[in-house]
Amino acid sequence: MKRIRTVLIFTVALCSYFAAHAQEKTILRGRVLDKGDKTTIIGANVVEYDSEERVVNGTITNVNGDFVLQMTNPQNTVRVSVIGYKAQELEVDPTKTIVVELESADVALGEVTVTAEARTTGGLTNIEDRDRASSSVKVDLMDMQDVGVISAADALQGKVSGLDIISASGDPGSGSQLVIRGLSSMGNSEPLIVIDGIPQFRVTTDFDLSSADSEDISNLINIALQDIRSIEVLKDAASTAIYGSRGADGVLLIETKKGRMGKVQFDYQYKYNLNVQPPAIPMLNGDEYIMLQLEEWHNSQGAFDIPPEIAYDRDFVHFYNYSANTDWLREITQDGATHDHYFSISGGGEKTRYFTSFSYVDEEGTTISTRSRRFSSRINLDYFLSRKLLFQVKFNYTNNFRDNNVSIQGNHWRARNVREMAYIKAPNMSVWERDVNGNYTGEYFTPINSYQGDGVTYFNPVAVALLGMNDQTTNRLENTFMLQYRINDWLSFRETISFQYEGSKSKNYLPYNAIGADWLAWNVNKAEESNNLSNSIRTETQLTFSSPFENEDHSVSGALTWLTDQSGYEWMNLQGNKTPSVDIKDPAIDPQINWIGTGSGEDRLISGMGNINYKYLDRYLLQTILRADAHSSFGVNNRWGLFKGLSVGWRFSSEPFLSGTEFLGESMLRLSWGVSGRQPSDVYARFASYESTGTGSYILNPAIAPTSIQLNNLRWETITSWNAGLELNLFKERLYIEGDVYQKVTNDILFGGTRPEDYYKIPVSSGYDGLKFLNGGEMTNTGWELMIDARLVRTKDWLVSLNFNTSQNINRFNKLPENFNTERSTSIGNGEYPQIVMEGEPIGSFFGFRYLGVFASDADAVARDAEGNILRDGEGKPIPLQYADTYIFKGGDPIYEDVNHDGKIDLNDVVYIGDSNPDFIGGFGGNVRYKNFDFSVGFHYRIGFDIINGIALQTEGMNDRNNQSKATLRRWRIQGQDEEGMLPRAYMNHPANNLGSDRYVEKGDFLRLNNVKIGYELSKDLCNKLGVRRATFALSARKLVTFTRYTGQDPEIGQDASNPFWIGVDEARTPPPQIYTFSLGIGF
Amino acid sequence: MKSKMKYFLLTLLVFVQFSCNDWLELIPPSGLIRDEFWKSKEDVEAVLMAAYESFGAMDRNLFLKGELRADLLQGDVNQSDDERNVAESNIYPANFFASWADFYKVVNYCNEVIKNAPEVKEIDKTFTDFQLRSLVSEAYFLRSLAYFYLVRLYRDVPLVLEPSESDDTDFYLPQSPENEVLEQIVSDLKANRDFAPTESFPTIQENKGRASKAAFDALLADIALWRFQYEEALTHIQKIEQNIEFELMPSSRWFQLFYPGNSLESIFEFQFDGNRNQRNGMFGATEQNAYQYDPSQKAVEMFGREYSKEIVRGEGATIGKIGDDDFIIWKYVGQSPDGLSVRAGAQQYSANWIIYRLADVLLMKAEALSQLDRYTEALLVINEIRSRANVQPVSLPFNKVAFEDAILEERALELAYEGKRWFDLLRMGRRNNFARKGKLIEIIVSNVPSTQKRILSAKLTNPSGWYLPVHKDEIERNKNLFQNPYYDF
Repeated sequence: MKRIRTVLIFTVALCSYFAAHAQEKTILRGRVLDKGDKTTIIGANVVEYDSEERVVNGTITNVNGDFVLQMTNPQNTVRVSVIGYKAQELEVDPTKTIVVELESADVALGEVTVTAEARTTGGLTNIEDRDRASSSVKVDLMDMQDVGVISAADALQGKVSGLDIISASGDPGSGSQLVIRGLSSMGNSEPLIVIDGIPQFRVTTDFDLSSADSEDISNLINIALQDIRSIEVLKDAASTAIYGSRGADGVLLIETKKGRMGKVQFDYQYKYNLNVQPPAIPMLNGDEYIMLQLEEWHNSQGAFDIPPEIAYDRDFVHFYNYSANTDWLREITQDGATHDHYFSISGGGEKTRYFTSFSYVDEEGTTISTRSRRFSSRINLDYFLSRKLLFQVKFNYTNNFRDNNVSIQGNHWRARNVREMAYIKAPNMSVWERDVNGNYTGEYFTPINSYQGDGVTYFNPVAVALLGMNDQTTNRLENTFMLQYRINDWLSFRETISFQYEGSKSKNYLPYNAIGADWLAWNVNKAEESNNLSNSIRTETQLTFSSPFENEDHSVSGALTWLTDQSGYEWMNLQGNKTPSVDIKDPAIDPQINWIGTGSGEDRLISGMGNINYKYLDRYLLQTILRADAHSSFGVNNRWGLFKGLSVGWRFSSEPFLSGTEFLGESMLRLSWGVSGRQPSDVYARFASYESTGTGSYILNPAIAPTSIQLNNLRWETITSWNAGLELNLFKERLYIEGDVYQKVTNDILFGGTRPEDYYKIPVSSGYDGLKFLNGGEMTNTGWELMIDARLVRTKDWLVSLNFNTSQNINRFNKLPENFNTERSTSIGNGEYPQIVMEGEPIGSFFGFRYLGVFASDADAVARDAEGNILRDGEGKPIPLQYADTYIFKGGDPIYEDVNHDGKIDLNDVVYIGDSNPDFIGGFGGNVRYKNFDFSVGFHYRIGFDIINGIALQTEGMNDRNNQSKATLRRWRIQGQDEEGMLPRAYMNHPANNLGSDRYVEKGDFLRLNNVKIGYELSKDLCNKLGVRRATFALSARKLVTFTRYTGQDPEIGQDASNPFWIGVDEARTPPPQIYTFSLGIGF
Repeated sequence: MKSKMKYFLLTLLVFVQFSCNDWLELIPPSGLIRDEFWKSKEDVEAVLMAAYESFGAMDRNLFLKGELRADLLQGDVNQSDDERNVAESNIYPANFFASWADFYKVVNYCNEVIKNAPEVKEIDKTFTDFQLRSLVSEAYFLRSLAYFYLVRLYRDVPLVLEPSESDDTDFYLPQSPENEVLEQIVSDLKANRDFAPTESFPTIQENKGRASKAAFDALLADIALWRFQYEEALTHIQKIEQNIEFELMPSSRWFQLFYPGNSLESIFEFQFDGNRNQRNGMFGATEQNAYQYDPSQKAVEMFGREYSKEIVRGEGATIGKIGDDDFIIWKYVGQSPDGLSVRAGAQQYSANWIIYRLADVLLMKAEALSQLDRYTEALLVINEIRSRANVQPVSLPFNKVAFEDAILEERALELAYEGKRWFDLLRMGRRNNFARKGKLIEIIVSNVPSTQKRILSAKLTNPSGWYLPVHKDEIERNKNLFQNPYYDF
């Protein structure tokens, strides 16, 4: 090793010696043209090679196809190459301007790629994009720079067929949810994200009890958008099998920019976004609210004592605090601004190529006191030690700071965020406290007990947003080292080691003056701090080969890979309360410690794989993949999972019998089959562990008990997929059509999860509530996809293109595990939907009552038989319709369909009422470029799915003290009132006026103008005068218009499948804001 | 050369295979896994202790299971909705009170001990046969006690006799008939009774807090009485009477049964010690400021000074008066029979939960004797208990009904709030083919709101309604279970 280094240093020294002493300068000038149409070729590489074929110097042609190359040695050879053309050697003649005419390449392209192969990291398969016979889509982000998108997920939305991207929430930095070709398993499906060949580790955690999990994963993709060169989506198992156990949900391959040979380039981009919250659902004002409350009490109790808060009582101490007209939603909403600075330097010479970038994004949310700041930097370095040896380093650091708002649980069954509270908070309450005389005291109005309830459960959202603290800082570091050695012409060896590290720290603080709690309450001045660390080390050893024999007809390539992957995590959480002052927000200083917890874990993976790609006559393609994974989640018996893929392609356009057809470009028919798999999310799930019991002892003896059941039968979940696709290039690449049909079958579905509530439930007579995991059942996703790309006009000044894509996915449970409890929840009541699973139905179906309107009068509320005749008792009196055994319906109550006509509305009347799976998803858009102007639009749509409007469920019930929406002004008030679209009557604590019914199931179909952009690029002449390489300006708007009939805030509701039987519910997250962007880019 | 290469490759392959498996064998950083457990007698004892601890942790539940539907208890404002519905016999399968999860958790721990302890003996050479049988007998006792509760609460229940060790276990057992369950536990108890420890522990807490031979005898007697096998009950009770370790506490020290507990009269009680964070649930359920449970009007009339002549067991001992017409349950809250001195500090949570004590067993004897028409002997026992309580002896007409009522009354006075009342009532109601169903219903409805009295007495004529439903979730999870027909609508 030492000797090699000496040799290397010597060689390098020698080179520089030669370079320094090449006194006689040879300058070549020339122009590169297309041999066919004689147009100039921009960006062709003109490279000088020495006698040992080492790259010595090089340049690229400018916009006019001209180049100037200063040669280090006139004896060297100079070659001109550019993708799409045959490389050509130059005659070294410095005396004249050389005109090079390049011949466009068809078959020769393969050779070019082989050369390039040594210089790119490539994938795991060693296969050219063009030859891939499996289903994947590549999106080039180079041209998306100036659109007002924040993250890569944003940029992909509506662009790739079969990829469903939903914003998790409009809060800054909250990430998105990605689903490729439908939900294929229990729990959240998330595609594997691979950045520059390195899969991003998923942290398996048992500490994360919040919903942050899915967001965390999608946050990974939030790398600086400008760094991304392309994103490729692998959709079928034949292509994802190579990622084995982790590719089961599809794979997103992200490639970042790299340095390229040439002059140093500086680029700077600035974007300013204005984030505007779309108008909120109109809520009752204070006066209307008080009226509603009075009516609720009156209807349920008749005569009653009016609580002083809603009685117009000037002598009441808090009269001024309860006679406001506060629009809570407006109080917590703001227009946010985002500043995005991005700076990059790239360039390189014959030995080194570098790309380095720096970005800073400061994003303000549309809810007050929400903000995120991201700092990231990236260095990609390629160092050619010799022609055979390439050393590559990638370094990426991200610092993410998020300022969120605290969610508070109080006596409610789950924590509510500031926005949820703003919806239900009594609008007659004042934000600021006023004294008896109506003067402001300077404090927030946070009574310990208000009319609505205790001051913790019904907190003041403005006070909590501004005084509470919920900060999270995440540091992420990623480091990859790669060494590649070309053993000979057809064999090369590569070793990659990558480290990933992530540390995050969360701090929460809830001061006493933000909530209404007395000093003895446990959550007064509550401070919480948690640290999470995770890391992973991955090694990859790969031997790749390509066509060892010289034959035009046959071409074989492939790779053998061995990789290991280990990742670990640890966490610490400290929670204290009653810190001595609201300025002391650290739980380590003097509070009462409520809870301290720590934990850690690790998982490991070994896998070996091989793939062979065979090509005959450049027309017939065969690709095979075999990968074996062993994961520490499984016991020895089921440890190895075997994943495989087989794909065949037929490039029929190259067949001689079609060679005469002018309109047909390069087209391919492909068919693939593959198997991929998934391991459980909890690596220790298979063990029965014995732990200390609650008190840890009985009398003086230690007590230890088993806490979980050993899983002997835990095995890989497997996903088998078929895919048939057709790629058509028509009319000289004017029209590109790609269509795919597929079927994905998930077997041995992993039911269960890391949280106790997700466990696979078994009878408690076993002594346990559930198994952590159980494999069983079968689910299919069947669908088709279509993408059309049309370049309508392509002239010197004009470029017009249109694109369209659509896809349909049908999800179905074929089989459920034996003994599976299909009734997840059978509770009915106000706001409750029973959750039921059925074989043959899709995951995410809704069940509930059918809502038929409102009884106009008491006389109408009677039981009827199937023919609609009134049922009568023995004395001939009509039998009243009742709810379960507890309530008799009256006029003004809602009508639910009595499906079995037994005169009773109960669980037996629950029917299927909707489904959260979209029938069609996709997008379309277009680009127009005229000279230096360009204009683009993009639409995104999802059609054929239902949403449970959770906000309406909360704000139209009129049976409690929550504020309600303006829709309730159309409520039933007097006997006989019968109006179109009338809502039921207001009634305090009504047992059944707001049952889970199709009243709140709405069509979610939407078509959204996702982005519009107008850009202008400064002309070359002007740039030259100004001394800049390029300058661009753009104006864009995002989510400008949404066409939908959905009455909630936003129809873009994620399929949060953490509870697979309860997905597609709109729960008052901040809707994605409209974003207006101005951007400016300058290159030197 | 070639063969050498082959061997080399083979070795490499084997090496890779083994090292892979080692590298991939990661065990959880916290807790012990099954493969590491069950290595010494301490492991066996630790799981047994977990069974005791979790059974004891049910004390509040055992209290409610034995009192809530009967007539001595009354909910206060902080009573949960589920519990109020049970108290009013307005029970639906979704009621959380109907969950049997806690009992089966104990059953599973016991099953773990019963199955694994003999295997540990093979490994741990210091584990003697005597120790093994003693520890296993305790597990059998706790399992039998759990099943006895289950049978009395649900009638037919799944009879789980194997631990749920792995996912190969059959979790979906159907219910076994009441009698089959009782046969099983009686034979288990009889087979293990002689191996049970006898007052052999160094501390009184262990002697009273772990299953002794006398505890076995008391449980066997209780089961026999439940099955109306009176002769059988008497033979078990006789063994306790012969045991000189137990005697009735003098009347002046009656309250010491509860504070500090572990009295001479005590046979078996679950131990609590607030100092070691082993906190009971009874203080929280009955203390004044919890507003959860108070004595019913009937109880106040039984114990209140203005109504009755109960001095030892009355106001200040069983119940305490804290205001006009305001009483609380005193047995688990007070530290002396004055109705004033409340337990302090860690003592608040240290009141034990008594399963069996001598007075209970003696009244069982009286019940058995009277059912066998041995009235003179029975009356002697009743008056023994009464004289200990400093109240006048009774004289009774020599017939079964009179004795049944008198014993029921005496048990209410002596054992109020010790989780016995409901089962005493049920025993009476079931006896002689439901001969005294009416009396049972009369007592139950006496403690529900007047609006519900009539409808409830009609509903309760079906004896299935005296048992709890199988919880809704359990029915949904296990298709082999059937719902109690009373709740199946």
